[in-house]
Amino acid sequence: MDVVWDALREALDLLFSGDPQTFEIIGLSLRISLTATAIAFALGLPLGMLLAFGRFRGRRLALATVHTGMGMPPVVVGLVVTVALWRSGPLGQLELLYTPSAMILAQAAIGTPLVAGISAAALQQVDPDFRVQMQALGASRLRSLWAVAVEARLPLLAAVMAGFGAAVSEVGAAMMVGGNIAGETRVLTTAAVLETSKGNLALAVAFGLILLLLAFAVNLVLTLAQQRGRP
Amino acid sequence: MTPLLELRGIVVEAGGRAILDVPRLTLGAGRITAVLGANGAGKTTLLRVAGALIRPTAGQVMLEGAPATAASIRRASAAVLQRPLLRRTTVQQNAETGLRFHRVPRPEARRRAGEWLERLRVSHLARRPAHTLSAGEAQRVSLARALALSPRLLLLDEPFTSLDAPTRGELLVDLGDVLTATGTAALLVTHDRHEAAALADRMAILHAGELRQDGPAAQVREHPADPDCARILGYETVLDPPVARRVSRDGDRPVALRAEDCRAAAPGAEPGGSDLTITARLTRLIPLGATSRVITEVDGRQLIATAPAPPPAWLAALTPGDPIAIRLDRERARPVGDARPVGSTQQARGVEG
Repeated sequence: MDVVWDALREALDLLFSGDPQTFEIIGLSLRISLTATAIAFALGLPLGMLLAFGRFRGRRLALATVHTGMGMPPVVVGLVVTVALWRSGPLGQLELLYTPSAMILAQAAIGTPLVAGISAAALQQVDPDFRVQMQALGASRLRSLWAVAVEARLPLLAAVMAGFGAAVSEVGAAMMVGGNIAGETRVLTTAAVLETSKGNLALAVAFGLILLLLAFAVNLVLTLAQQRGRP
Repeated sequence: MTPLLELRGIVVEAGGRAILDVPRLTLGAGRITAVLGANGAGKTTLLRVAGALIRPTAGQVMLEGAPATAASIRRASAAVLQRPLLRRTTVQQNAETGLRFHRVPRPEARRRAGEWLERLRVSHLARRPAHTLSAGEAQRVSLARALALSPRLLLLDEPFTSLDAPTRGELLVDLGDVLTATGTAALLVTHDRHEAAALADRMAILHAGELRQDGPAAQVREHPADPDCARILGYETVLDPPVARRVSRDGDRPVALRAEDCRAAAPGAEPGGSDLTITARLTRLIPLGATSRVITEVDGRQLIATAPAPPPAWLAALTPGDPIAIRLDRERARPVGDARPVGSTQQARGVEG
């Protein structure tokens, strides 16, 4: 049990001592994962709309592909991004490997199918005649689509939460494309892995707890937004 | 006078099959037109074509004599669908929805939406979340939302169907008053002939996707164009010649009769006035609250009559297959197919059939 108490004390110490290194890691984790979530949402929502309302051949095949992507092992994503960004790879000239940008790219790739899949389901939950009714009141096709999205805002926010959850908790891809470089690409998950491997269990658990706290804070904000106006 | 909206040669196909075929249907400015048809007759499809909500496979929608675009129809019309489909927000915001789509500035939208909530007697609910309303309240809000746009054409897709009878009656009267007062033209599609009769001054009949009859409401009601139209208009019995010849002097046409004009008669009862008594065979007796429905058959045709409820002893004693005397009110029998054709090929076909 000692290790748990040590970890708790260590976590509180790290948080309240204002250790600059820890705050740098927290800040980087937040910046990378929130950016990745924003990108995943910006790509995933229109993709979800297309899958929910589009009429094209292979729509169901595309939907099944997205659903598969929702369970994509982060290691596979990390591998693909690594290969793409490798010096001799197709995007090697961008020199993004082992930078926060590469981590954002990987996390966004993990989050996008999640947001798209949940969004498609959320939008299809809205009565199909709802969109017709909005058009019958003068909405353009695009405007009526937006009205449906607003109507499905509760499950759409759930899609955002799932996207953020996947991004912030992910470690395999972050390790592979970021490299866990102190002060540059070290985030909470990779730091926890590193400390565990060094035997600093208390510090590792402390990073884990901070990660949980962070995820809770972000989800609390999103949940409050989602449940606004409800007791 | 140029009609407000005209459907020309409209065909809608689904799965390679025509589900709607309307050679011509006009909606006059300020007039209320009802399209009557059974479930699945293509009423909703017709309404959606008129509102540019679906594109027909063939044909043209004309707005005031010019080919209509989706945008021009959206500017001129607003629709109320069968279910209210309100947004998940307050009643007031819902009433403003259409106005906001049309980029009406917020203060003006608020004022106009408020006025229409008032006119439809739901202004006291303005701050309520829409999903807490009863079906009747929600449909009133949906109507206010459409009327707030001051449309020249209001499209109504069975807006009263989901309401209970008293609520429906009140809303029907309120809507009729509003349409008359504002001179708004309306297209009402419904399966309920009473609703159609209460609101419309023109009536069209849609059967299996085909426009079968179209004309002034009173004329259509009294002169069904074919047996299908007769049934949709509430004439449950259509008798062929030669039985028909005994009922009506009007030559070789079938005649249509409402159930209330056919009465099961006790054996040996004297026929009264112009009534005609014919002998049918009982198929089934269905006691329903105030009256009983007596389903019978004559010459291979179903004849539906009424009797008091509970059924008198002599009637209750009959078993299916027994002969039964039915007294028909000749004066109320309507010849089928004597309506003047209204320029539709479908209708002519219907008359021949």
